[in-house]
Amino acid sequence: MPNQLGFDGGVVIPNPYPVEKVEIIQAPLPNQVVLPLQQRVGDQAIPCVKVGDRVLTGQEIATTKDSFCVPVHASVSGTVIAINEQVIPHKSGIKSTCITIESDGKDEWVKNPGCGPDFLHCDTSTMIEYIRISGIVGLGGAGFPTHTKVARAQDCHTLIINGTECEPGVMCDDALMQYYPREVIRGVEILLHICGASRAIIAVENDKQEAFNSLLMYNHNERISIVHIPTKYTSGAEKLLIKALLGVEVPSGGFAPDLGVVCQNVATTKAIFDAVVESKPLVSRIVTVTGSGVEKPNNFEVRLGSSFDHVIAMSQPNKRSHDIRMGGMMMGVDVKDGKVPICKITNGIFVNDQSKSPVVQECIRCGACNQVCPVSLLPQQLYWYAKSENTDKAMDYNLADCIECRCCDYVCPSHIPLAEYFSFAKALHRKTTDDQYRTDIARERFEFREYRLERNKQERTEMMAAKKEELKKKMANDKAQKDKVAAAMARVKKSKKASDDA
Amino acid sequence: MLDSIFIFSALALSLGLILGYAAVKFKVKGNPLVDQIDAILPQTQCGQCDYPGCRPYAEAIASGEAQINQCPPGGQEGVDALAEFLGVETLSLDATHGETQPEHVVFVDEQICIGCTLCIQACPVDAFVGASKVMTTVIADECTGCDLCIPVCPVDCIHVLEVQPTLNTYVPDLSEVAHA
Repeated sequence: MPNQLGFDGGVVIPNPYPVEKVEIIQAPLPNQVVLPLQQRVGDQAIPCVKVGDRVLTGQEIATTKDSFCVPVHASVSGTVIAINEQVIPHKSGIKSTCITIESDGKDEWVKNPGCGPDFLHCDTSTMIEYIRISGIVGLGGAGFPTHTKVARAQDCHTLIINGTECEPGVMCDDALMQYYPREVIRGVEILLHICGASRAIIAVENDKQEAFNSLLMYNHNERISIVHIPTKYTSGAEKLLIKALLGVEVPSGGFAPDLGVVCQNVATTKAIFDAVVESKPLVSRIVTVTGSGVEKPNNFEVRLGSSFDHVIAMSQPNKRSHDIRMGGMMMGVDVKDGKVPICKITNGIFVNDQSKSPVVQECIRCGACNQVCPVSLLPQQLYWYAKSENTDKAMDYNLADCIECRCCDYVCPSHIPLAEYFSFAKALHRKTTDDQYRTDIARERFEFREYRLERNKQERTEMMAAKKEELKKKMANDKAQKDKVAAAMARVKKSKKASDDA
Repeated sequence: MLDSIFIFSALALSLGLILGYAAVKFKVKGNPLVDQIDAILPQTQCGQCDYPGCRPYAEAIASGEAQINQCPPGGQEGVDALAEFLGVETLSLDATHGETQPEHVVFVDEQICIGCTLCIQACPVDAFVGASKVMTTVIADECTGCDLCIPVCPVDCIHVLEVQPTLNTYVPDLSEVAHA
């Protein structure tokens, strides 16, 4: 391990809304929950309940066969009141199919299968299946299905547990490590068992001393080590964390398992423990509510599908009008209002007093963005290409490696929303590639049709010619027919002769 | 004097043989210009350019028979791309060939369909599935939105459906990005 844990670039941002003591408040059951069927990646899940059905907490309400997608579970017991299009927290504001459940307040749980506390006796594939049917995705914000990630990382030597939580202001993982250290450590043991890794490293930023201590207290496994890493924003990005801890760089376009490393978030580890040992699917998560618009920033353990307003109301918001942002202040997305549901990737909700955003000015080519880019890109160069919609050129400059961390936005003296441009350029590139693919298929199908029509025509001509030939041959071979023709010819000759004579 | 004549004749003969062999061996089949023009065209195969498909139109452009502004699905962007590729002055889209429609596909109202198969014969990319006297439907992924099936339908059961962006295909507007 290198002496200096770290990576180039990144920015140190102080927590803008510090709290005296990190807590977790159990949010009351919401009256209704809205559960989106489309998750961050993969196909949309297919509902397996009807409007009017009674469902229990933890019951599967939408299923899927796609390995990049996970099933959706009812997060409260009650009645399905609607399956329709609703606004979900996404920057596009596009509506997506959601299942709405009205709670009956009883919170009756369904009985799910699981390994129980003696999980070491379960085989790997059974445990991965439990993780899948419990609907676990990466809770750090990426939302990648955990079962797919661990199934692909069977020959890993190192398991990295990401407890860095570098987003300033968000403290849900900090709280989780402080209050559920046993679950986290047990979850890591389950993951070690599944991946067959020889060691696990839990990385915690050095401003979270309490969390570090509580994990140390519960860790009795010599294969698990807990390390401090310097507090610097974007240390939580998977590839950067690997670089900081192991000193190796995941190549551009490559993945961590290529190097024999697998990364998981601490909250995901706890969810894995709940799924495998406690037989509980993922129906709740810890959400940080903070920002200038609330008096008491805090963490809430809340059922998935509750509205943002449900938890915002408990953190004493002031009376002013607010801008609401999901995720962190850096990588989060702005949402239009507080009615949108909390999903699996909602780690934080920022409630800020509405303020005028700074005026965007022209790029002065100062190069400050190049210095802070943690993945060593050239944001300034990429900005010009993105602005002129020259996505091919931007891709040549490795735009695909951009993690959209907004470090460049943060330091830009002209307040240019650089990451926003990069996100746009990526989406545009994806769309042009898709369109090109469809165009190529259309061309192929058109050309094949032309070829087929031509071939059919030719086959038909050939068939007709063959039939004619066959008929001729038949006529030639048939003795009776031949005689008949000869007789007819003789008759014609005779009558001709007769007419000539006459 | 004789030496130099001999050397140059031998050189000319051998080089001529090599060139002749290369001309046969590395002969380019088809017209590469047509392929390159065809790659720029949108492959809708709608025939609005008065040619029976994108490739015939590409051939007509290559031979100088057709103008570059006859393709409504490609839009003004397509005309500009063709002009840039061919190194000619760009033209504005010829409105007599039709207007650029938003991206769309067609779908069959299956309750009304009588299974006449006329749409199947009209479709340039074989996007219809059906047979005589049975219900017909469209493979939406394969439909190019050429609308050639709409006029031939005797019961008017083919309708246009505009393609809406989904969460996975959403591209933000550049003007919104600039002020985010």
